[in-house]
Amino acid sequence: MTEKVKLTWNGKEIEAPKGSNLLQAALDNGIEVAHYCYHSGLSVAGVCRMCMVEQDGVPRTYPSCNATCAEGMVVRNDTPKIKAAVESTLQFHLLNHPLDCPVCDQAGECGLQDYYMKHGQYDSQMIDKKVHKEKVQDIGKNVMLDAERCILCSRCTRFTEEVTKTNELGILNRGDHAEITVNENLKNDYAQNLVDICPVGALTSKDFRFKQRVWFLEEVQTTCIGCATGCSVKVSQNKNGAYRVKPIYDHEVNGHWMCDDGRNIYKHVSSPTRLQNASENINGLFVPVDEANVQNSVKNKKAKYILTAALTNGEYTNFFNAIKGSKAEIGLYTLPDQGPEFDGILRRGDKNANSRGAKAAFELAGYDHSQAALDKLLNGISSSDVVYVVIPEILYNEDHFNTLIAKVEKAAVRIALTPGETLSTLRAFNYLLPVPSFLEKNGEIINYQGSNRKLRAGRAYGEISKDVSYYGKWVNV
Amino acid sequence: MKDVANYKDYALLSYHHIPGVNNIEVFEKAGGYETMKACFDKDPESIKEEVKLSGLRGRGGAGFPTGMKWGFFSKDRAAKKYLLCNADESEPGTFKDRYLVEKNPHILIEGMIISAWALATQKGYIYIRGEFHQQAVTLEKAIKEAYAKGYLGKNILGKGFDFDLYVHRGAGAYICGEETGMISSLEGKKGQPKLKPPFPAIKGYRGYPTMVNNVESLAAVSWIMRHGAAAYKQWGTEKSPGTKLFSISGDVNKPGVIEVPLSTSLKDIIEIHCGGMRNGKKLKAVIPGGSSCPIFDAEVSNVVKMDYEDVAAKGSMLGSGAIIVMDETRNMGDVLKWTLEFYHHESCGQCTPCREGTGWLESVFKRRDKGTAKKSDIDLLDKTASAMRGQTICALADAAAMPTQGMIKAFREELETYVSASPKK
Repeated sequence: MTEKVKLTWNGKEIEAPKGSNLLQAALDNGIEVAHYCYHSGLSVAGVCRMCMVEQDGVPRTYPSCNATCAEGMVVRNDTPKIKAAVESTLQFHLLNHPLDCPVCDQAGECGLQDYYMKHGQYDSQMIDKKVHKEKVQDIGKNVMLDAERCILCSRCTRFTEEVTKTNELGILNRGDHAEITVNENLKNDYAQNLVDICPVGALTSKDFRFKQRVWFLEEVQTTCIGCATGCSVKVSQNKNGAYRVKPIYDHEVNGHWMCDDGRNIYKHVSSPTRLQNASENINGLFVPVDEANVQNSVKNKKAKYILTAALTNGEYTNFFNAIKGSKAEIGLYTLPDQGPEFDGILRRGDKNANSRGAKAAFELAGYDHSQAALDKLLNGISSSDVVYVVIPEILYNEDHFNTLIAKVEKAAVRIALTPGETLSTLRAFNYLLPVPSFLEKNGEIINYQGSNRKLRAGRAYGEISKDVSYYGKWVNV
Repeated sequence: MKDVANYKDYALLSYHHIPGVNNIEVFEKAGGYETMKACFDKDPESIKEEVKLSGLRGRGGAGFPTGMKWGFFSKDRAAKKYLLCNADESEPGTFKDRYLVEKNPHILIEGMIISAWALATQKGYIYIRGEFHQQAVTLEKAIKEAYAKGYLGKNILGKGFDFDLYVHRGAGAYICGEETGMISSLEGKKGQPKLKPPFPAIKGYRGYPTMVNNVESLAAVSWIMRHGAAAYKQWGTEKSPGTKLFSISGDVNKPGVIEVPLSTSLKDIIEIHCGGMRNGKKLKAVIPGGSSCPIFDAEVSNVVKMDYEDVAAKGSMLGSGAIIVMDETRNMGDVLKWTLEFYHHESCGQCTPCREGTGWLESVFKRRDKGTAKKSDIDLLDKTASAMRGQTICALADAAAMPTQGMIKAFREELETYVSASPKK
């Protein structure tokens, strides 16, 4: 347990670990301190000069981001002197800013806009020619750079230097001609965090660009199902669809960041080609069909279920309860590992969001979750069977999955339970039935550490109630 | 009064009259390196104490007491530490260090060896301004000579003390004269000052404790150790003891580098040491300490004494001792324009107030070129300069703001006339 010290910020007594960052202590205690360059996941740069404070007994003002907490410190950032300094410094930040907010994706969540409303509201005296820099630079990995919106806080260069250690970004030139430049196009797997940490609209996401105004979005906090790490994320969505995934700070699992693969997990959820109704495959075309017809077709057939390792613990429990006492065979399809077991930052080779939960549920219900058991099930498929295959929500390796599909072709009725889009590979099935996606579920999954991670339902864009356990009940039809 | 400048009466230039003193043999014949040998028999702490007693103030510009700065340095003799000599001399108007090392590189090397012994640093670098090619060559030759004599390298004079010295040439950035900017540059990074704390004395070059001193300060150390702190204090005032090199440029008959006791009056410097104003013109203004220091008008110039406290009391800074003398024909608007252009060009671009402020000061002052200037622009300049002060990692923003405000204070009317008159016919 670290030693705590008491200090006073703007007259409010707060407690913080001794020697911890002074600015962070204020932020943690709900004290507002304007800042651009400081980020608790990165080293201190001290260049934006917004977080200046006055301390009793210290002659000069100083940036609180470069100070540490000590017992009895009395600091203020609400004095006339500091307020004037913050206003002037903000004015300097905005001096050469292009003010293209109407076409900027950051508008609405921009540090410049926010602080102008809070600390600025002055009349511009800038009648001179602004310094222009290159706009619309595609710097790779879904990230776009607009050099003239940049306030050179250096968060992005510190990120590539300290977090990914790939050093793709740097600051070239001096003075007001300094700008972010790419040494080489972004190549790291965490590049879109740059978009998150950029306090202004200099780095924007190519995926999100021009799609939606942020004030029309609401956020649902959930867990990424992209791999076994289970990062805390928030999905921005509205009635028209889901638009982006961003990480939420989570001390236990992902810290501040998430990987680029995780950014794509929302795409199938509100995709226009997402399966909405029970459908029948008629000569390669999927045509909506009455669910009763599907039920009829499975009557008196031996049921075989192939589950994925990305369902919630609750879904597994309900499913095994539903099939209890039946002679149904159950197999578990796990996605093959991708890349190294762990990339040293967040990504894991195990792409199954809930392998631990799935295996525990299988064992509890007395079923074998091994690959051998799955192979046995597949080899035993005959023309009197109905096979239900739960389609993995995030399919990294389609070829691998296609080999599984090839093996179920012998079955009389092949049913795909899919939370996603109508893929061409699904033509191998007779029927497609929609199930909820991760964004329409409340539940828990277990990550690689063995900790329970929560999935929370946001807006629905497809089936919300009929999950895998609902179709489990068909075993008794 | 006798013109004593450049003569042997004083301290740092006391060898300059000897022909070929850049040669180690000549230097040693004149008594060079004796002090260094004597110092190796002394307790390093006593050397630090002597320097502290002398009251020597850092000659790079800030005037921070050298002895006190040394006091912050780690006393652990075994720890890895560096001694850096700042020979970047980038302040416009300054050329004293250049003159010192080109004629007598050994006084600096001797001073550095004594300082290294006192501070227990195993490696030293002389970071020299890139444009000083000849001076770098001179220094390198001198270092080679000192190595040959066994004054540098491993186990110096059998005392079990190692000190290696290297010359590192800069690439011509003003900001690399700032001590942490210099350290960044020496580390092979972009020359940008580092956030303080930690100060270099705690965590400097490559993360190790580093002592950065100016050429003139280090050279003075060797003189102080030879003659004693008391002898050094015979010159100058209580708070500004010793002698100082001044680089004098501008409209005087004899510009150049002189060494005079601190607290010599500026009038004497101009009239006696520099042979008066050129072509009999009237004195209009003097920048007393380099381009970053507020300007003095003729009235103040005639009464100011060149020591740290009197120059400060009159609203400017002694800085690096770069005296720029301007006569009645000089237009203060042009002077400020060039100053602002310089600082705009040299801002490293790290801290927002400086990065944007230096550029804007220039743009505002040059509004006359586009015909958009108003007299009130001078107030805007003053306000903007004031907002830049004390807000940045290093003093570059202040270095641009102070001469701007100083110029407005001393020559507001002339500036107002300047901005309202369009240069285009």
